[in-house]
Amino acid sequence: MNAIEVSHLRRIYKVTIGVVRRSIKEVIAVDDISFEVESGELFGLVGPNGAGKTTTVKMLATLLLPDAGSASILGYDVVKEADRVRRHIGFIFGGERGLYWRLSGIDNLRYFSSLYHVEPDISKIRIPYLLELVGLGSRGDEKVEGYSRGMKQRLHVARTLLHDPDVLFLDEPTIGLDPVGAREFREVIRNLQSENKTILLTTHYMFEADSLCQRVGVINHGRIIALDTPDALKRYARDLTVIEVEMFGVAPEVIDHVRGKPFVDSVAVEDRDQKQVLLVNSLQGAEIVPALMEALDGVRIGRVQVREPTLEDAYVRLVGGDR
Amino acid sequence: MNLQTMIVSWRSMITVAEMTLRQTVMDSFIIFTVLLQPLIIALLALWMLRDKGSEYAMFIVVGSGLTGLWSSLLFVSGNSINTERWSGTLETLVGVPTRLETIVFGKNLANVTQSTISMIASYLLAGVIFKYNLHIDQPLLFSASLFLALITFISFGLVIAPIFVMNPSVQHWQNAMEFPVFILCGFLFPIALLPDWTTPISYLLSPYWAARALHGTSTGGASFEEVAFYWAMMILFSLIYIFISARLFRLMLVKARRDATLDVE
Repeated sequence: MNAIEVSHLRRIYKVTIGVVRRSIKEVIAVDDISFEVESGELFGLVGPNGAGKTTTVKMLATLLLPDAGSASILGYDVVKEADRVRRHIGFIFGGERGLYWRLSGIDNLRYFSSLYHVEPDISKIRIPYLLELVGLGSRGDEKVEGYSRGMKQRLHVARTLLHDPDVLFLDEPTIGLDPVGAREFREVIRNLQSENKTILLTTHYMFEADSLCQRVGVINHGRIIALDTPDALKRYARDLTVIEVEMFGVAPEVIDHVRGKPFVDSVAVEDRDQKQVLLVNSLQGAEIVPALMEALDGVRIGRVQVREPTLEDAYVRLVGGDR
Repeated sequence: MNLQTMIVSWRSMITVAEMTLRQTVMDSFIIFTVLLQPLIIALLALWMLRDKGSEYAMFIVVGSGLTGLWSSLLFVSGNSINTERWSGTLETLVGVPTRLETIVFGKNLANVTQSTISMIASYLLAGVIFKYNLHIDQPLLFSASLFLALITFISFGLVIAPIFVMNPSVQHWQNAMEFPVFILCGFLFPIALLPDWTTPISYLLSPYWAARALHGTSTGGASFEEVAFYWAMMILFSLIYIFISARLFRLMLVKARRDATLDVE
């Protein structure tokens, strides 16, 4: 049975423009998307900022009304049976908001436990268990205002598990977390999946989707442009070779110069500490390395590596290349 | 609504009230609204009427307490949904199985309970500073009137909170709505002193009937029949407010989910 079913879902935002002469502009956030998530599956939704990921999650979590199409969670319609849906879902939106900062972690959980109609006897056992699960066992009685961002995120996880929901929506849950916190968080997600929860995860981090999700949908401009297993999605870039070149203080004109070369499919630059890494995708394989070095003549170069394409390379190619 | 649902809703409401009190007990705006402002009003009125005797003092104690109740209702309960929205918790609250009306009822319960502090503080002020020998003429009827007054204030708060969310232009008049109600509802002096044309407006405001019941039972002068009539009016208005608020909440939530205004980015 499918835990989540989405059929031709569409959502338009109306944006007011201008101060004196005001006009309303329509922005299509989600444009006729359809997908299903099986019970117990960890499904990823990836895409650039503004692609429609959060809007999709909010419609499924009953917080936004769709303009067209339908969606159901465990067979309950998200519009007509929102109350029923809410009993079976939990959701986290990335960031620190959504908690009561003047209350302690325990009081936040007591508060939401009551709102999720958890019996007091059960919540007395469940709250300490969840605090331990998310690594806040010793900090639960401190006020949330003193928590780090990562601690707040972990408290959100505990909050969303209070009523032991069957379906979880995790919208960019690791955004802003330090690497250790993000790794711990991913471990929590894995544990949840092992408990047979159905999880819809949105993320910017392709390695996260690759390592966690059974299937991934790539969303761009409100449309799902690819949907498959991470390995299958990598095939979108299998004809590519990725050449990573470490550089120091490279000028934008040099990047443009490389981008203009006929053997280059796409180029991206990542900042890593004091250096930049030039990621060159090419259809012509490793044999372009000498020509690439020639194009980078005069630039201080570090390590050069030729590797197989990852999910991120496939993603970059799918959503439009040179971002 | 079955018994189980009622128990669960009641439990949620009490927890909301408890957590609201924990958060607001040291909030400086609330301390000013429910404690300092009514005390200043009481202090000035007691000073002006210091030669009139303890009966007037009791009237002022009750009246200043009512000003605290109304101010709290208008500013704290009225903004209860917007406050959640600005702090980013409204989406979380809408996404739980508990109805938003139940949550706001619990928050209002905390606010009005806190506001009774202003009445106690004014009582102490009149007794300790002004040395009045204060007593409540009909304590049982007064207690029942206070209970119904709190319910009717909470119900009124359920109406204004969604109105303020759906109509920001109405909320701009929030400050201007504070003192007219003090006057129209006879908190600090009888409405007989006002022009006749204002009387029907007073009759439509449930705090007016709360003031009549509390003044009538604290300083005497009201027969049981009169007090019972004031109670009936408070109950009637509370039911009307709850009926209206149920529809307003439904409208507000549909509008917020349609316009994507549950959260501010």
